[in-house]
Amino acid sequence: MVFILWIALMVFLMAELLVYTWCRVQYVRTGYEVTEATEEHERLMELHRKLQVEGARLRSPERVTRIARQRGLVMPDSKQVVVIP
Amino acid sequence: MRTRRKKKSNRLKWIRFRIIVVGAVLGVWFVLMMGRAFQLQVLEGKQLRSRAADQYKKDFHNSSKRGTIYDRNYAEVAVSIDVASICAHPGQICSKEQTASALARALNLGQKSLLKKLLSDKSFVWIKRHADPTEVSRVRELKLDGIDFVTESRRFYPMKSLAAQVIGFCGTDGRGLEGLEFYYDSFLKGRESSLTVLRDALGRGFTAKGPYPEGKPGYNLILTIDKNIQYIAEAALAEGVMEFGAKSGMALVIAPRTGAILAVAHVPRFNPNAFGQYEPWLWRNRAITDSFEPGSTLKIFLGAAALESGLCKPGSEFYCEEGVYRVGKNFVHDIRPHAALSLQDILKYSSNIGAAKVGEKVGSAYLYLKLKEFGLGDRLGVECPGETQGSLSPVGGWSEIDAVAICFGQGVSVSALQLAAAVSAIANDGLLMKPFLVQGMTDVHGGVVKSFQPTALRQVISSENAWRLTRMMERAVEKGGTGVRAALGGYRVAGKTGTAQKADPTGGGYAEDKYIASFVGFVPAENPEIVVLVVIDEPKKHHFGGVVAAPVFRRIIRETLRYLKVPPELATPEYTDLGRDSPGTNRREDHRRAGESLRVSCEAPTMG
Repeated sequence: MVFILWIALMVFLMAELLVYTWCRVQYVRTGYEVTEATEEHERLMELHRKLQVEGARLRSPERVTRIARQRGLVMPDSKQVVVIP
Repeated sequence: MRTRRKKKSNRLKWIRFRIIVVGAVLGVWFVLMMGRAFQLQVLEGKQLRSRAADQYKKDFHNSSKRGTIYDRNYAEVAVSIDVASICAHPGQICSKEQTASALARALNLGQKSLLKKLLSDKSFVWIKRHADPTEVSRVRELKLDGIDFVTESRRFYPMKSLAAQVIGFCGTDGRGLEGLEFYYDSFLKGRESSLTVLRDALGRGFTAKGPYPEGKPGYNLILTIDKNIQYIAEAALAEGVMEFGAKSGMALVIAPRTGAILAVAHVPRFNPNAFGQYEPWLWRNRAITDSFEPGSTLKIFLGAAALESGLCKPGSEFYCEEGVYRVGKNFVHDIRPHAALSLQDILKYSSNIGAAKVGEKVGSAYLYLKLKEFGLGDRLGVECPGETQGSLSPVGGWSEIDAVAICFGQGVSVSALQLAAAVSAIANDGLLMKPFLVQGMTDVHGGVVKSFQPTALRQVISSENAWRLTRMMERAVEKGGTGVRAALGGYRVAGKTGTAQKADPTGGGYAEDKYIASFVGFVPAENPEIVVLVVIDEPKKHHFGGVVAAPVFRRIIRETLRYLKVPPELATPEYTDLGRDSPGTNRREDHRRAGESLRVSCEAPTMG
């Protein structure tokens, strides 16, 4: 009976050790994943920022006006403007 | 038996001796160990713990992201992006000549200057800051020892030269150096953030406490500037400056009800992304920092003072001395002689003698008081570094000729902003608003941190007199008025031309061939949406405000009203037919009509 109790205690301690080791390994792995995800987030945020800048550059009135003129668009005169009351 | 006992006794003594020796050695060893442990753990513990931490911890100090500057419709006009800078640790470079040669080829830099940097005693030198992505990838491919890359934040202006003088720019270290970037630097730059990362044996980052553990990104600025109105003003102004071969030009667009500045245009322009390539005088927001003699546009405020004093009415007549008026030893001239003109015609034909007579009737003290109330001679407190207060001498210091010359805008100087803000007061029923460029600040998540509301400064003239003055200004844009080229079909325009001689920098008096042509007005006259001021410095082909500045004004109001969706007034007054919407279709006819109107005008301030 005592022998069985000893065996059970040893198994419990071994299991605890394994679970603890598994937790530590998971903690380290998750730490790496968090770091990678943070870096990816930063990279995507920076990309987003650069795309916003590119969007702003493409929407600049100077560029839009130049393209409009190239395509033959002109400012309508007052006779072409119809005010809908 | 005795011998055996003696031997045994000696052996025990020897064993005891050895035990004592071993014990003593171990004891000394233990004491040494304890001493060393005490030294390492207690005496040097703090320092050693710090050295150990240095090997597995790394602190990143990031300058916080500078806030974005938006126009009033949240279009980005100044943003910060991450770029790589290339640096070197000269101590870690074996072959400095080869490294300098390879870097020179990859970065298109001088090999000698690079070698000089690499041969320096410093542990760290910059090779190229804010390098292009292609340059960075070329250097990375070289895999050079001792060459490193640092990520830095760089300011970028996607609209390039649009509103460059208003926004300003930042230096390489991210500090604001000009314009709003300088004025709001402490709000835009935020606080530096520091990030602690644990590293494993391979140098990989392990844990981080978050992107902004201690620092704080800068606030965003929301301007009152509208990028489209700004572009309209800049394009029209550039066309006017080029057409008349002028030295420079400025244009301002203000919403008179609030004082919000919608556009501040300057020509020549500069690109803040490469500000170093331009002359420093182009960086200044000259509409706010520089002053000039306003010329006949000041007659608007003379008219306001005349009405407000109760001594004059729009129909009050003044004898205009048939074109020449003697003031002490000086003579004041009108281009076309007039016998008598009413106050409203003095404004319409821009008569200097008439203005002088009005000034005499109103009195210098009252005129000075009203000019001060309109904000001339004082800073308005707009958000711009180096705002000028202009020059308006105290009335006690006015000589006889000063008192006359000030009536038609000579001997007094104002900034473009002061002039536009003062005219805005007339458009706003006599209430002077404080002009402003920034309507709010938001944090990184878009939450409003601070908002700037329109601020009324003072009621300068009564709303009735503001209305009368508006009618008088409308007449200046009618047929026969000096500002006929500012008229726009479908809208009632109120405005006033200005032509001022410039002071001669080589000596006293005024230069014969240097003028400032200006036009200021608002539209629609009945319910003003915008006040526009156009100032063109040293035009060459013509110099009258009605010829040089009025067409620029007209183009700005035509396109801005369309952009703002302000419908044309249904009952279009006949006189505005002079202003057509397509100036290119019959430009010669436009010139002929403007010439006719100028021949009957008396605008140019010529002093004998």
